[in-house]
Amino acid sequence: MKVGFVRSGLRRFRVLATAVLVASAPSNVAAQEVHAGGDAPELPDTLTSCPDRLELLVERGLAEQQGIAPGAPVRVGAQPDAPGCHATVAGVFQPEADPSEIARDRRRIILHLPDLAALAGRADEVDRFSVRLADPAEAEELAGRFGSLMPGTRALRAGEVAARASTTFEVVRRFHRAIGLITITAGGVFLACIMTLKVQERRSQVAALRLVGISNRTLLSWLMLEAALVSAIGGVLGIAIGRAASGVINAYYQRVYATTLDFSIVTGETIGIGLALAIVLGLIAGGVGSVRLLQVDALEEVGR
Amino acid sequence: MLIFRYSARELLRHPARSLLAVLGVAVACAMLLDMLMLGGGLNASFRSLLTSAGYELRVSPAGTLPFDTGATISDAAGVSASLEADPAIAGVAPVLGSNLLAERWASSGETSMDDGPEEEGGAVRLFVLGVDPEEQGLYRLTAGEAPAAGGAVIGLELAEEGVEIGDTLTLRAPASFADAGRRSGRYVVLGIAEFLYSAAGERTAAIPISSLAELTDQPDRASLMMVRLAAGEDPDGVADRLRAEYPGLEIASIGQLVETAARRLSYFRQLAAILGTVSLIVTTLLIGTIMAISINDRYGTIAALRAIGISRRSIVTAFLVESLLLCVAAAVIGLGLGLLVAGQLERILSDFPGLPSAIRFFVFEPDRLAWAAAGVLVAGVGAALVPAIRAMNAPIAATLHREEP
Repeated sequence: MKVGFVRSGLRRFRVLATAVLVASAPSNVAAQEVHAGGDAPELPDTLTSCPDRLELLVERGLAEQQGIAPGAPVRVGAQPDAPGCHATVAGVFQPEADPSEIARDRRRIILHLPDLAALAGRADEVDRFSVRLADPAEAEELAGRFGSLMPGTRALRAGEVAARASTTFEVVRRFHRAIGLITITAGGVFLACIMTLKVQERRSQVAALRLVGISNRTLLSWLMLEAALVSAIGGVLGIAIGRAASGVINAYYQRVYATTLDFSIVTGETIGIGLALAIVLGLIAGGVGSVRLLQVDALEEVGR
Repeated sequence: MLIFRYSARELLRHPARSLLAVLGVAVACAMLLDMLMLGGGLNASFRSLLTSAGYELRVSPAGTLPFDTGATISDAAGVSASLEADPAIAGVAPVLGSNLLAERWASSGETSMDDGPEEEGGAVRLFVLGVDPEEQGLYRLTAGEAPAAGGAVIGLELAEEGVEIGDTLTLRAPASFADAGRRSGRYVVLGIAEFLYSAAGERTAAIPISSLAELTDQPDRASLMMVRLAAGEDPDGVADRLRAEYPGLEIASIGQLVETAARRLSYFRQLAAILGTVSLIVTTLLIGTIMAISINDRYGTIAALRAIGISRRSIVTAFLVESLLLCVAAAVIGLGLGLLVAGQLERILSDFPGLPSAIRFFVFEPDRLAWAAAGVLVAGVGAALVPAIRAMNAPIAATLHREEP
């Protein structure tokens, strides 16, 4: 979009400041080659209209990959096979950890906006503006009015931008939730099976205790307590294994994607839900098995 | 047959226990099948989609994948001619892509597009492909004809919104508010097509590449070139050779593109591997526990059977058949359940942004079904083997004495 046009449009609103953020500006620059001075292959002559004292910042991953250090001479251009401009690496930057960029093997450099516009042949153009409002409460209203007053532009609130950028993660979250449900079902059936077996193991013992006069209520409490204990111990062990697995997952993916993002987080809420599910499911399974056990004829159970 | 009946009767003696075991293993089997489908499904789906167009190579600007960025190939006509001169190449289809704003004029009178989330002052965003109608592999016409000069082919999404053959679309570059007259044009809808690589809900249209180049002020540029090889040529070999000849271009065969896509979505394969392994472990543990407790209950019977001359082999076989029966019942339920669950999970993942709607995460193939069933059966029978052998080695006299009521 044309910078001058949008700026004049923005002045009509009560906008405190407009910031041109377009570091990621013309996407053609994504195709550029960046070569450290000595290793640069033969390239055509540089552009005749190269900016003076062209400087750039190089993303850490790219700098390491190409062996580029601050002060290194490089050549940048909008097309790999087109003339480029000599530039100097002013520094190396570490981009903020951004989940939406994680799977994209795209390396970035940062240039001053006019330099980038000149290199890409897109004078007076940007891809987007970030706008800081005098009154943030007016964001919604202004976003609605921008579009109609400045045809060809689209105003999005920061929340909308974040929501669009995180669509991938929303889908993955829903997928994880579905997988979690299946896992809980499998775990629940497994637990029910184990608790049924555990209770049935005690049938002779329970029958004998009933014959010596221990009440069904006391026996039920005993069996339920045991079920709760087994479930709780299993739950705690499961959480410990989950935490360890979470650590391994983070270590692995942080190394794979060279990022500081956390891929797996074990929160207090997760622990609480896990433990509660284990105990509740264990109690239900143990309870059902115990009630059935207490309904059996005790004499028959001990073989008389 | 006797062994089979004995095993079946033993399972029916404890219906609750057997039912729970079958259910537990069925869920694990369903999960295993789903993970096998997920693990190989994406690659198979990508390959199927890419090969369906009939072009073996994709050429894009160096360092990019097709349409991954807005980068374009300069001197598109020169590159295309040079590629076509190569004896290994049978045809080149240049493609230019751009997001444009579209307004619709119906043949009966002026109307605007239906309101949508991307609606902007009566116009909607449209991904427009500039193609050579005689040489393209991006869409299949379902009605009408290919886009001649001044004409357009629209995707099914737009057709479902009410745009018809004969309507006129006004296309405008989004950044063209300052020079709207120069960078907009009217195109008559000549055909409706299924766009092979469109994402779900994406509005797509195609016009001649020269028209789009003019509209977006990108003369002699292409976002992508699809290359058709002569019969018998090896795509990987030709791609490697061309990559050396054209250092400014990214040239990939379908196999290489599938590998790249698989790398980007490796998360799903890793998740599938982990959950598939967990499913097998759950099956082993569950069957192992059930069989261990079941066999422990029958130490006296086992000793008595051995005392009257039943061979160890027959008794171990009976336990293995018992486990096998549990697993077969679980596999039948689990495989059906797995297919149902895969459909639901596919529905969730179909919202994955940026992927062509034709891509499937869960792809059904008979061999995956067979692998899931075999995995569960082997894990189950293997799990029963340990307690069965232990019971066989128990001393007969001591066991009979201990188990005497």
